[in-house]
Amino acid sequence: MMRHLQKYSPILPVLLAYGVLLGIGLAYPGKWQLIAQLAFYCALGQAFNLFMGMTGYVDFGYVAFLGVGTYGMAVSIYFLYDKGLGIGLIFIGLALAAVFSTGLSLAVGAVALRLRGAYFAIATIGVNEGFRYFVEGARIWNGADGMIFSRHLRKAVGRETAMTLSTQWADILVFGVAVLAAILTLVYMRNKVGYALTALREDEDAAKVMGINVTKFKIIAFITSAVLAGLLGASAWALKLTYVYPEDVFEIHYTVEAIIIVLLGGAGTLLGPIVGALIYGASKYFLAIVLPGFQLLIFAPIIIVIIVLFPEGTVGILKKKIRGTALEKFII
Amino acid sequence: MPLLKVRNVTKRFGGLVAVDDISFEIRHGETMAIVGPNGAGKTTMFNLINGVFLADEGQMIFEDVDVTHFPSYRRAHLGIGRTFQIPRPFASATVRENIAIGGMFGAAGSEVNVDEALEMADHYIELIGLTPHRDKPAGGLTPIEKKMVEIARALAMKPRLLLMDEAMAGMNPTDIDKMVEFLKDIRDKEGIAIVAMVEHIMRAVAGLAERVLVMHQGAKLVDEPTQEALSDPKVIEVYLGKPAEEFHA
Amino acid sequence: MIFEQLSGNLLQGVILGGVYGMATMGLSLIFGVLKVVNVGHGAFIMVGAYVALILFQTLGIAPPLAVPVALILGMALGMLFYYTAIKKLLKGPELASLLATFSIGVILEEVCKQLFTSEARGYHWGLDKLDLGFTVLPYSKLIAFGGSILVGLLLYLWFHKTRAGMAMRSVVEDDEGAGVCGINVDWEYALSFSIGIGLTVVSGVLLTMFIPVGINPYMGGSYTLKAFVIAVLGGLASPYGAFFGGLVFGLIENGSYTLFAQIPGLEPFAMTRFFSFVMLLVILLIRPTGLLRTK
Repeated sequence: MMRHLQKYSPILPVLLAYGVLLGIGLAYPGKWQLIAQLAFYCALGQAFNLFMGMTGYVDFGYVAFLGVGTYGMAVSIYFLYDKGLGIGLIFIGLALAAVFSTGLSLAVGAVALRLRGAYFAIATIGVNEGFRYFVEGARIWNGADGMIFSRHLRKAVGRETAMTLSTQWADILVFGVAVLAAILTLVYMRNKVGYALTALREDEDAAKVMGINVTKFKIIAFITSAVLAGLLGASAWALKLTYVYPEDVFEIHYTVEAIIIVLLGGAGTLLGPIVGALIYGASKYFLAIVLPGFQLLIFAPIIIVIIVLFPEGTVGILKKKIRGTALEKFII
Repeated sequence: MPLLKVRNVTKRFGGLVAVDDISFEIRHGETMAIVGPNGAGKTTMFNLINGVFLADEGQMIFEDVDVTHFPSYRRAHLGIGRTFQIPRPFASATVRENIAIGGMFGAAGSEVNVDEALEMADHYIELIGLTPHRDKPAGGLTPIEKKMVEIARALAMKPRLLLMDEAMAGMNPTDIDKMVEFLKDIRDKEGIAIVAMVEHIMRAVAGLAERVLVMHQGAKLVDEPTQEALSDPKVIEVYLGKPAEEFHA
Repeated sequence: MIFEQLSGNLLQGVILGGVYGMATMGLSLIFGVLKVVNVGHGAFIMVGAYVALILFQTLGIAPPLAVPVALILGMALGMLFYYTAIKKLLKGPELASLLATFSIGVILEEVCKQLFTSEARGYHWGLDKLDLGFTVLPYSKLIAFGGSILVGLLLYLWFHKTRAGMAMRSVVEDDEGAGVCGINVDWEYALSFSIGIGLTVVSGVLLTMFIPVGINPYMGGSYTLKAFVIAVLGGLASPYGAFFGGLVFGLIENGSYTLFAQIPGLEPFAMTRFFSFVMLLVILLIRPTGLLRTK
């Protein structure tokens, strides 16, 4: 039992980080929006890392999973608001978000996960745009006009609850997604999935020869990462904003942000995405004040610098430094 | 019943026939060498046995199971292990994790959990004498150490057939002798059939292999006991007419 | 009526396809020689579009005359990015070069946003049109088409008739062997990357002669997607395959637009773009090494 607990001790710094963030947010309501934004980046980074960091494959169309998740929540509220489901709408919305993102990840994965390296990246690069144009072109769910459902939400759960849902619970749900992503990452790392992913990231052919069904494990990581993204979209975008436009939720810049966060913190590590998200989120917040509009111009060259000079990222470097010390048990 | 039956297997790449209608058998617990000059089709034969390539024609039966169309990971589950000519350990994983990966996904994989595999790994680390390096990333080891890690990783898979690609290339005579003893020991204790692939019939082959399959231009030249192969005129012919004795060194 | 419309659209498709093909040659050249996928490809097309726009609007230079400027600028950018980033990543994991070229694309977009704002702009060259009865072809489009074929031809001649071009081809065949034969492989890489980027920026100029509006810093994304469809159609590593892939893609794009427009309830423009994404997945599923390749 003790040993079992020890195996999962690296979750402690993660929970501590989220606890502190949440505490600051609750203590200083004026900073709640900043905290919520940081939590969003943490969740985004951890969900993205679960696939990119652990497999070494990069999905340039990742934001599409957030997009369809947003639609999952939107569809639930927009079409079912008068069925007397009350707060149950939110759970149906989350479930739909998970279903939509699983569906999309299966469709994309069926093609892309058969392909290696560069071809995988090529297969994913159009997913977000392709899906956006599908929604607009086939006029699905109002097409390019999007869906505005604040009125529906108010009718379903009442004005007060609707308000609390989008100003507080949406952000708390984001924290929930972030914690869930961290727990899943650690559970994978400590089980066969994690070992299989490490092996295939290092050498896919050798991994196969070792008896690893690489396609199966890639699919597991891909779907998990996609569902987390779907839940994130459902809470951070749909529930919080109570509207959805295809051109917003399939916007490639969120994929860029996810890449920056994971690389800054350290791909394939547990704590990395949190560190990356805090560095990125905080600098973006201050840059928006000091140099509005320059964030990406500053961060894009930083990605290149990291790739060339520090491919392990912050936590990767830290892990090397603390090898052999007591901290090793907690920071992975 | 043989461990592996290879029946009329052919593999082509474009117009080139890399393996041409080869048949042979591997018996339980024997050691055999596949020998041939560069380009004879040995590596392709290896890749066909463990499923990195699929045969264009012919059939392969491993312990009653027709594995002709099996991908490599399913063959690993049945008990075919493999090491590479240039060792390919998983660089960022530690020595212990590398070997444990063999244990948890190989032939015994379905019954072994992560903790058990890690414990098993410790046993193999001791066997190859790398205990001081247990928790270091395998990427930082010397080439010989990497080779040992790879052999341990393959053994942890609990194979019944172990394919070794140029296992002794680049080693000095003392290390070769040690390796031969090590492999014989493994074979006798664990009953694993070992198929080693080598470019030349040298002391390692003579010391280890009971039987030799000589390949030439994709086809089977001879398949006979080692001592006979060493003096077989057909084999000598392939090695540029030199007497086979020269390859003992 | 529909057939007249369709044949008109298909002719337009072939002409546009020629320009698309040229716009993909740089991508294929870079992949063929360096095995690097330039995920920021579309951003270089965007740079070319701005070159044409700015030269025309500020100095009154006709778009075809912007081509040499675009080529020099593109090759300079290629050298810059090769020596600062790409060169150091060639030996690393594929992920590294993918992320690097992606970031280069983002850098270009953001620089152009700072220089020219994110507002969509256009220019009016005012050339005459050729009326064929069933369809009308502006001369600017015909010039762009002719220019693309000329560029493709020059690249072919350079590869097959000059020493430098043959050296580069030998690197594609076998870079180690080429190194042994005294070819400076690193320089060949730099040169190929630079030429690849140069061609791409030039194609951006030619594309504005086709569509002289909607020039904005983020216009490259859809061209990146199209270029990948075209490249996998023609075989990712073959510049000429890319050219023919472009022709086929132009035909399919314009043909499918006409058909989608017949179906009520669909947005033909958006559906055509969705369709190109589906095509990409289907081609990758059937034959990732290229549909048009015979080997």
